Amino acid sequence: MPVQQKAKIYQEEWERRLHDVQVSKEDLNRLVMDYLVIEGYKTAAEEFSKEAGMESPVDFDSIENRMNIREALQRGDVGEAITRVNDLNPEILDTNPSLYFRLQQQKLIEYIRQGKIAEALQFAQEELAPRGEESPEFLSELERTMALLAFESSPMMPASVSELLSPAQRMKTAAEVNAAILESFSQGKEAKLVGLLRLLCWGEAMLEERADLPKLDLSDGTFGERMSG
Amino acid sequence: MSTRPSRSASIPIPPSSTARSLENVIPMSFSPNPPARQRPASTVNAAASFSPVRVAPPMARSVSASYSSALNAPPRGRPAGLAQLNTAPVFEPRIIRATTSPTPSRDPACNAPYSPSTSPVRPRRLSAGVRSQSAVSATNLGHRASTSTIHATHTTTQGFPRPAYLEYSSMRDMLHTEPAPSTLTPVTRPAPYAVSSQDSRSSVSPAPPSIPYPYFRRELSPVGDSDDESIATPPPPQPAIGAVTVLSTNTVLMLPTRWSEQDRMPSLSVSLDGRELTFTGPSCMGDRESSAARANHPIPPACGIYYYEVEILHKCPKGPISIGFSAPDVRLSRLPGWERNSWGYHADDGWAFPGHKEGSAYGPTFDTGDVIGCGIDFSQNRVFYTKNGSFLGLVFENVGKNTEIYPCIGMRQTNESIRANFGSAPFRFAIEEHVRARRDTVWGDIMATRVDWSVLGLGPRKTEEKRESETPKLAEKGDINEDDESKTPLRKLVLAYLAHHGYARTARAFQKQCTERSHAAAGKEPVQTKIEPEDDVAMAVDSEDTRAAGGSSSAADSVGTGAWLDYESEYGLDRDLNTRLSITNAIIRGDMDTAMSLIREHHPSVLEREQGLILFRLRCRKFVELVLEAGEALRKVKEVEREAAAHPKEPSVGSKPLDGVGEGIVGEMDGVGAMDVDDPSPEARTVSSATSPMVPTTAGTVLPGSSSAAPTPSRDAHAALAAAAKAALHTALSYGQTLEADYKSDMRPGVRAHLRRTFGVVAYDDPIATGGEVGETAGQASRDALAAEVNQAILESQGRPAHPALETLYRQTSACVTRLGLLGVGAAAFADVRKEFLED
Repeated sequence: MPVQQKAKIYQEEWERRLHDVQVSKEDLNRLVMDYLVIEGYKTAAEEFSKEAGMESPVDFDSIENRMNIREALQRGDVGEAITRVNDLNPEILDTNPSLYFRLQQQKLIEYIRQGKIAEALQFAQEELAPRGEESPEFLSELERTMALLAFESSPMMPASVSELLSPAQRMKTAAEVNAAILESFSQGKEAKLVGLLRLLCWGEAMLEERADLPKLDLSDGTFGERMSG
Repeated sequence: MSTRPSRSASIPIPPSSTARSLENVIPMSFSPNPPARQRPASTVNAAASFSPVRVAPPMARSVSASYSSALNAPPRGRPAGLAQLNTAPVFEPRIIRATTSPTPSRDPACNAPYSPSTSPVRPRRLSAGVRSQSAVSATNLGHRASTSTIHATHTTTQGFPRPAYLEYSSMRDMLHTEPAPSTLTPVTRPAPYAVSSQDSRSSVSPAPPSIPYPYFRRELSPVGDSDDESIATPPPPQPAIGAVTVLSTNTVLMLPTRWSEQDRMPSLSVSLDGRELTFTGPSCMGDRESSAARANHPIPPACGIYYYEVEILHKCPKGPISIGFSAPDVRLSRLPGWERNSWGYHADDGWAFPGHKEGSAYGPTFDTGDVIGCGIDFSQNRVFYTKNGSFLGLVFENVGKNTEIYPCIGMRQTNESIRANFGSAPFRFAIEEHVRARRDTVWGDIMATRVDWSVLGLGPRKTEEKRESETPKLAEKGDINEDDESKTPLRKLVLAYLAHHGYARTARAFQKQCTERSHAAAGKEPVQTKIEPEDDVAMAVDSEDTRAAGGSSSAADSVGTGAWLDYESEYGLDRDLNTRLSITNAIIRGDMDTAMSLIREHHPSVLEREQGLILFRLRCRKFVELVLEAGEALRKVKEVEREAAAHPKEPSVGSKPLDGVGEGIVGEMDGVGAMDVDDPSPEARTVSSATSPMVPTTAGTVLPGSSSAAPTPSRDAHAALAAAAKAALHTALSYGQTLEADYKSDMRPGVRAHLRRTFGVVAYDDPIATGGEVGETAGQASRDALAAEVNQAILESQGRPAHPALETLYRQTSACVTRLGLLGVGAAAFADVRKEFLED
């Protein structure tokens, strides 16, 4: 098969293409609003709807509910989060066993973090061990969590175990719950802006195989130094 | 658009289309070599390039909007307008040709298609329907007759609506089943495997091939683009305002619509409608001989998936009819599938042949009466067949990867015949569902792409060293939602957008929430002593890093703490944003004095940018505002006068002086004729102005309701109003004289043109209601545009980008996808940027 010649796309021509793309400020405002709502920036979303004169796609209170759950998880109050999720819509956890497991696991982590070893053991045996039978994935997660007890706060603790105690783990759980709630409201579970970035990464990578093009440097929205020539 | 006479909507296709399509079809089909096909394209380009273009970029949008809504069948019934224009660039060149072109076959009545159609959906189909009805004008009837005659003798195919399954392609607006109106030169060779058609066109064009379109410069409207001497490249020979649009070409990708009259073996005859092929010669003997035919156009990969069906009308017992695809250079004396770059499914044994004689068993045999569907999926470069509506599975690899392909049929026996459906009739197979499912899959795959922030220039640019120091787990974390490495750049992107457009309260609320969250995420870490001090270090490092390197921060940022602290200083939200906002708001209200004095105070360098262009524009706008005020004051005089006339109690006392004043003013103002004051424009708002303070106040307080109720005060009011109107007019005119005097030596063509347009406003009593160029110059949209320009200028003077990164992100993504589609990457056809991200 003949090797395709890589075409060169000059910046001038490319800028013209960019200019030709049809997009309005209103379009972009919607994109931003979607981000604010999905990511739960309630007051910002409210202000934005006033300043930009836009309808909000959702009830702002629903953002608040979601954020309360997220905050509860971020401060380690898993019980509160579970209650709130069930208040919002009991089906979310009923129909999503792995999400429920994730929350239980988080609860176990919080026990261990607080040094409540007895409670942790009891909780693990009563609530989590039976679920571990359900799938190998649950089991290995359970084992990983229990390793926290074995190492306690020893410096020997492997990173794969210690990271369970990191804030990132809480955020991860919170994000999963957030996505599940959004999905239950049939909203996208991820901000469109993120999808746009995914598409750009895909597109630039695909295009790079076929042509040299000016690539975008998003830190300042120019082609900056990355565009050499 | 809705006010257009219905006639224009009812005949979107010029009756001359047949003649015109012959013009295009014949040379194309007779000479399959690319240069010949491209010649018309370059001619058009040249012609367009040398024609003066009147329309300026900001106005171009509306023009192209209406134009494309008439031309391109908009997808899925969306209302016409900007929404459907994501792939349609600006169209001016064609418009110019439409008016100046000496195309012989055109009839005055044929102008209809160039008017905006009132039908937002599928003008083609609509036209077909209307033609068969009786309510067509005489000229059209005549054309209809000649159309069908030509149709019969030359066997051209009328176009048909774009098949519905193609609506799933993000590039659907480029896909056409017939040549668009004659000024369009169809790009039948998209040359997807080299450069895009536009490129090849502009390279053969005798006109200057590329005029820079400075996207990253401020988008100045007329004035800016035309005379900006700071543009490094030499100025183009033609008026530069049009330069931008001249080079913007719309890509037209033709779909196969019939069997080619030329690209076939003589022993295969093509039916009048182009769909049937019949083997008329003596049956072929031996493997060496066969007869094949190709369709009239190659399949654009921008379809994503292309599909056609073939009904076997008559098949001889031994006849190995072959259905498939072939490249344009494959010999037609061989069945598709037996030669390199051809692919075929054979009736006699059900085998599939991938370009050589070693085929493999694929599906059932087929015979007279069967309907065989044949599809190419460019997202995986594989082919699929269907038999009588049932899917037979994917077959072949790398189909159409390095060559254009055409639908192709081969037969060997006398009297064998087939009938193809290229989409003009319903398909047996549920192709729409198939395409939708495939689209969803492809889109899902694309959306699983990891965002590589370092490649995008956001987030930490990791060196190998740093990457090692990270824990492996952290490095492979996939989900963006939980990944703080991604949160910071996203927040920055959004915050910069809000700041750019001056959404100050939103920006502040957003910033506050972000900061809170970062603290919540990082600060609330109990007991685990290790982490907190590290974070502090990270924060410190981060702040410095961010300031120095403009956003790229250390790997320690993965906890997502620090970069925030700098937002305030980086965007200078409070101080800077407020000023910028006051300035733009003043311009939007028409309060140019406030705007100018604020700019002078806070951003003096802006006024000097580009040899004082911004100042010039502001001053011109101020003049327009003064004229509008004077017009408004005069209208009030007239109004009072009219009310006085309507009340006979107060017959003549006030009318004389009033009339006198009124006429005097009229005379002074335009010297043309009397004013029509019946239509007070809603746009003509009372404008606060420092230069003529008495106009709004006196007029505003005295007038309402007082004139008819109290005759004597009203007469006073008349006098006061009249005096105010006169004063306003004098203020306006003397400002205009100063303006003219100040800029009379500035010979930049853009300045001249803008000045001329500005003074043109004076000639109308109600410029905004006048519409057209005058209305645009005077109206609110022009204030908004000026405000946006000044906003950009201020940002640029501070070394910030002229466009928010978010906007450039969208444009870059969209442009990438379109380009990929034109380069033959089928998956791009299933990435509909606008639909996925901008529509609900």
